[in-house]
Amino acid sequence: MEIPYEVTPRRDTGLYNAKLGIWLFLASEVMLFGGLFSAYVFLRLGVQDGVDNPWPWGVSVHKSFVWLGAINTVVLIASSVGVVFAWVSLKERNWRRYQIWMYFVVACAVVFMCLKGVEYNSKLNKHHGIKLVDNSVMEGVIIGKTDRLRFHGEKMTFSLQAALPAVLRDLDSKDFPGFTVTDGPEGTVGTELKTASAFKSWFHDNRRAFSAALAEDRKRYRAELESGVANPKPVSVKGTATVTAAAPFAFHGNPRKIVSHNETTVNYRDGVKVEGKLESDDVIFEVHEVDMQLVLPQQQRESVVWDVIGNDAAKQSFFTQQSQKYQELVEYYEKRGEVVPEKMLRGRLLNVHYIHVPAEGHEGGEGHVEKEKHASVHSSEVNLTAGSVGGEGEHGPSRHLVIPREQVKFMGNHGPRYGNYYAIYFTMTALHGIHVVGGALVLLFFVVFGKKLYLKNPEHLANRVEVGGLFWHFVDLIWIFLFPIMYLL
Amino acid sequence: MAEATHDYSKTKKTYAAVGISLGVFTCITVALGLYPPLDVGPPGPTPGDFVIGLAVATTKASLVAFIFMHLNHERGLIYKLLLFTCLFAFGLMVLTLFADKDPIREQYDTHKTTGGWLIEKPE
Repeated sequence: MEIPYEVTPRRDTGLYNAKLGIWLFLASEVMLFGGLFSAYVFLRLGVQDGVDNPWPWGVSVHKSFVWLGAINTVVLIASSVGVVFAWVSLKERNWRRYQIWMYFVVACAVVFMCLKGVEYNSKLNKHHGIKLVDNSVMEGVIIGKTDRLRFHGEKMTFSLQAALPAVLRDLDSKDFPGFTVTDGPEGTVGTELKTASAFKSWFHDNRRAFSAALAEDRKRYRAELESGVANPKPVSVKGTATVTAAAPFAFHGNPRKIVSHNETTVNYRDGVKVEGKLESDDVIFEVHEVDMQLVLPQQQRESVVWDVIGNDAAKQSFFTQQSQKYQELVEYYEKRGEVVPEKMLRGRLLNVHYIHVPAEGHEGGEGHVEKEKHASVHSSEVNLTAGSVGGEGEHGPSRHLVIPREQVKFMGNHGPRYGNYYAIYFTMTALHGIHVVGGALVLLFFVVFGKKLYLKNPEHLANRVEVGGLFWHFVDLIWIFLFPIMYLL
Repeated sequence: MAEATHDYSKTKKTYAAVGISLGVFTCITVALGLYPPLDVGPPGPTPGDFVIGLAVATTKASLVAFIFMHLNHERGLIYKLLLFTCLFAFGLMVLTLFADKDPIREQYDTHKTTGGWLIEKPE
């Protein structure tokens, strides 16, 4: 059956079907992205209130992605040019040139997504931040798995109503430690659970038995109530069990799953209590920058971060830079015969300050705490050495700090959880990335399977490419706004 | 197979010129964001920088929309369709003007009720 207006436009609208369809679709897309841009503005306007991790204004690690974003912008522009040239090639009935341009566009899409992958990988796997109790933030890298508690468990108490204890997923060794039931449902005490499968099987069997016993006891309680028994015995079925390990089992407790801990006990969110010995809960951190955006200027000199860093030169460098920034502001307003507005002194312009921490001049040893009190200042750069743990880091010799966990308010990688900026960044760029992949697949389809249609009716294929191109240009158009607001402004 | 009936050499030149312009505007955006001498207003990120950055982005987006997406010679129906979309998008942006709206605080705003005095102006 011949579908009308696939190639030639309708007389009343002047449009062929697909063109009207794609514009309706793009209109809905504008609304989708419009909502997200609006959300971005709301989040950004709320930054000053200091309820979030800081917006990464001026942080070096954030600036380092500008060039990736810029290259991606150029790549998308080139691909947009490629699409229009592919369309023109079809109009000129030049199949070969059409193929070249279309494959060029798809290659641009691949490059774009690869660069995005590099950026995501860097944010998620190579950069961390720690917000201390007074909201000062240190940017850098958490060393090893020191964001987790290092604990040697001996005894574990858990509920038979819940899922398998989460702690079993945090074990250091792949070998199951082996447990003996020391307290639990009747008839199970003394049972040895030497393998993971034996433990799981025992756990599930006893969970089922507990559920059945609980249902039975409830039935008994209801029956006694209905038959008029005064003060019936309350429902009571033992629903917990305790197992003891043959030898202490080491694990790295995920702090997100832990409610509280002390020297001898770790309490998990799923109700599991592990008794044993805390090896360490200190966080070892390779610090690169300090961000005081969320600390009031009058409190910055007393910030916890200086105690953690334990280096006067770093502090001195920070405030030297702050004075320089203040001086720049004063000079700017003096030239205009004005004084610096009070809001500028309170605002982010003076509150955002960073120390870059280079590695030079430090001789770190492997795995020991440096006692060296020497610190040198190179212009605005500072060596952090006092109180640091030695070892070679990715960024050169060590400047690792040992941070007591009670000083830490939040820590994590630069993923969506890290703050509002990263949440909206990942939402918008991932949605945009999905559009890039979708658009590239459609265009790839047109070039791989388009020859038959081209031979039959080249104008029909040209219309399809124009419609696919409209979507592709829209994807480019969204990135044109995403690039400056996410990377530069 | 139908043969080409139109000379597209001028169109291709326009597309190439727009592509180059977009590249140049991208360089301008990066320069505005990274180099302090091009900073507008007081040092650091300010609303002025934001306005200029978005103005450049809007210029680039207009080039893409009008030339690459052929909006410069599109049918009236498309414009009508886009008018509604733009109104919706504009409405979403207008919402952000209410980001600082706080009627409870304003009710007790001493500036409004007592002209700046905490309780009432002394005699």
